[in-house]
Amino acid sequence: MRPRHLSVIVLLSLVMVTGIGFRDGLTDGTTRLEARQSPAVPVVPLPNREGSLKFGVLGDFGTGKRAQYQLAEQMVTLHGWFRYDLVVLVGDNLYGSQRPQDFKKKFELPYKPLLDAGVMFYASLGNHDAREQRFYKLFNMGGKLYYTFNPSPDVRFFMLESSYPSPEQIEWLEAELKASSSNWKIAVFHHPLYSSGDRHGSDRRLRDVLEPLFVQYNVSVVLTGHDHFYERVKPQHGIAYFVVGSGGELRVGNIDRKSGLTAKGFDTDQAFMAAEISGDEMHFVAISRRGQTVDSGVLLRRQPTP
Amino acid sequence: MSTPQGVVVFLLAATAALALGACARHGDPPAPSATSASPAAAATTERVVGPLTTADAQALAGMNDRLRDYIDLHMKLERSLPDLPKEATPEQIDRHQRAFEKLVRAARATAKQGDIFTPEARPVIMRLLATIFSGPDGQQLKSSIRDENPVDPVALRLTVNGRYPDTVPLATVPPQVLQTLPKLTENLEYRFIGDWLILLDTDAHVIADLIDNALPQ
Repeated sequence: MRPRHLSVIVLLSLVMVTGIGFRDGLTDGTTRLEARQSPAVPVVPLPNREGSLKFGVLGDFGTGKRAQYQLAEQMVTLHGWFRYDLVVLVGDNLYGSQRPQDFKKKFELPYKPLLDAGVMFYASLGNHDAREQRFYKLFNMGGKLYYTFNPSPDVRFFMLESSYPSPEQIEWLEAELKASSSNWKIAVFHHPLYSSGDRHGSDRRLRDVLEPLFVQYNVSVVLTGHDHFYERVKPQHGIAYFVVGSGGELRVGNIDRKSGLTAKGFDTDQAFMAAEISGDEMHFVAISRRGQTVDSGVLLRRQPTP
Repeated sequence: MSTPQGVVVFLLAATAALALGACARHGDPPAPSATSASPAAAATTERVVGPLTTADAQALAGMNDRLRDYIDLHMKLERSLPDLPKEATPEQIDRHQRAFEKLVRAARATAKQGDIFTPEARPVIMRLLATIFSGPDGQQLKSSIRDENPVDPVALRLTVNGRYPDTVPLATVPPQVLQTLPKLTENLEYRFIGDWLILLDTDAHVIADLIDNALPQ
């Protein structure tokens, strides 16, 4: 290891231990590693605490192309050090044909090391996904288009089907949010309520319906895709919004820098997200196909209004 | 997939919606105009587009009868197939889906446009859509549908009882549209392909019926 690399690692280790530089708010809690990292020894600003909930976020990935596989390798590399238990999928899990061989080529093969290691994938559906994916065992949807699960007592995920937000689904969501006593409520679905994408951008119609519920029932984090890049949106009504639509597809240069929404954007390569929840904090990173940490930070969960 | 209880709930809901509509026509305060407010304030057709006329309500009731017939057939055919487990392999899923499609298409070999979106219901559906899309958000709503689905349905040769084209992603249906159109059971969905509204059997991947040029220009 060359001295320059070592100094970067030491510096980051100090930052991770002290937490300095990662606690200064949602919009500014960002760092970036400019140094190249060895894929075998990922250096990412995650605490990696014992007992915390560790998970990945992946979206718009099921192309079966080389870039998807290369990003999957980075996910495997990270898992070697950061043992996340599950990955939530924000949709567009399979592009194009969805025959049995496509499930293999576009999902089972690239993520085989993770599946073999017992990592659970929980899917939501995007506009490219056939509805019967909900019966696919490895997507853990239990035959439902929308569902909820809590991988730890403190955290509950609400997995929605945003291409068809029927009144029944919205009523179900409200009832589930209301009934949940989890400190962390995280919504996962395909179409972003906030996005700087030139191609799609914010889905304002969906926002009209979902955002009031998220605000009222104390959702802290919303994970979406659809636009093919990574974007951390500036907090909206206290809620952290992420677009993670760069798991296989990519639209280079598609982030509109004038949108005023972007806290951090990355649209030059594929990327996935990893996160760790411990107590009131959620640490997160976004990692590119080349193994660079292109965004990181920590956010605090929303507190219930008295 | 669907259950007999689900169909009963659906029919009760449809009947209740129509009954509520009838009540609203006899002295209740006028319903608010089109809105994109929260679901609590926009739960039924009438809350979004205002009271229906008796003729319109009857037209939609006729469409609901056709929907009920379709769901009866769907469920009968589904029962004839082996159950698809909720934790299935891709091979099981594919086999089930293809078999279901074959059964539906054979059972409805003579199906034609207007069998479900009846000639009486079609103009009502189109008026409901026109009301939504002429509202303050109308242009954005249309843009959001076309943005995701810039295809030509004529070139795709869409037909009633034909397979939904595998290459065409599902365009998002805005919640305001779903709050307005008659409710469906889980195995049927309204979808847009270009400017056409289709009724999609999501289990069979078959277009149960369609309305061409349903989006107002």
